[in-house]
Amino acid sequence: MTDFGALLRLLTQNRVEFIIVGGAAATAHGSARLTLDLDIVYKRDTSNIGRLVDALSSVQPYLRGAPPGLPFDWSVETLRKGLNFTLITNVGALDLLGEIAGGGGYDQLVSETITIEVAGVNCLCINLEGLIKVKRVAGRPKDLETVAELEQILSETQREA
Amino acid sequence: MNRNNEPSKSGADAVIDAYKKDIDVTLIRENLRLTVDQRFQQLMKLQEFAEELRQAGRKASRTSD
Repeated sequence: MTDFGALLRLLTQNRVEFIIVGGAAATAHGSARLTLDLDIVYKRDTSNIGRLVDALSSVQPYLRGAPPGLPFDWSVETLRKGLNFTLITNVGALDLLGEIAGGGGYDQLVSETITIEVAGVNCLCINLEGLIKVKRVAGRPKDLETVAELEQILSETQREA
Repeated sequence: MNRNNEPSKSGADAVIDAYKKDIDVTLIRENLRLTVDQRFQQLMKLQEFAEELRQAGRKASRTSD
């Protein structure tokens, strides 16, 4: 099980700049679908990567699905050399995304966010319209199924407003 | 344009519309009444339940072998 609160507290308390996207963002907006991991877009500058490495080192990030024993160095250098990382930690599954299709990186996406409060911390989360946009671009059947629900949520919230 | 002079929908739109027919709006309305924090707590309970079901399924398939 992924402890979303624990991951978000670690990231926030270490002042990591990130945006919640994916299924967890859909949950934040009211989706009833099950998601098993936390997807975040993180700012790619060196100081933020340093804070990200510090934030997660205590929960022992490792490449999800990689054979046990495969060397993985959780470091600033590793994160700088890569872009997207699918990780398993002691508190659950976490996807670190340098950028996402249809949304770009942190700097492009930050204008399409709202602030949400989860587990006692405030975090940036992609807004509903932005999430619909990137899910449409992703275009897999499961993404389109999510778009159907998100558009329903959008019409419900507009109806209530 | 289609025969009714409406803009033709893309393939993706047609798929999305098909999925919309099966959406339980009552679940969405219930979720929208919750705080964001409560939605995440509910998600984690759902994860726990899904894991219990997976374990029960594995156990059942072992005992039926």
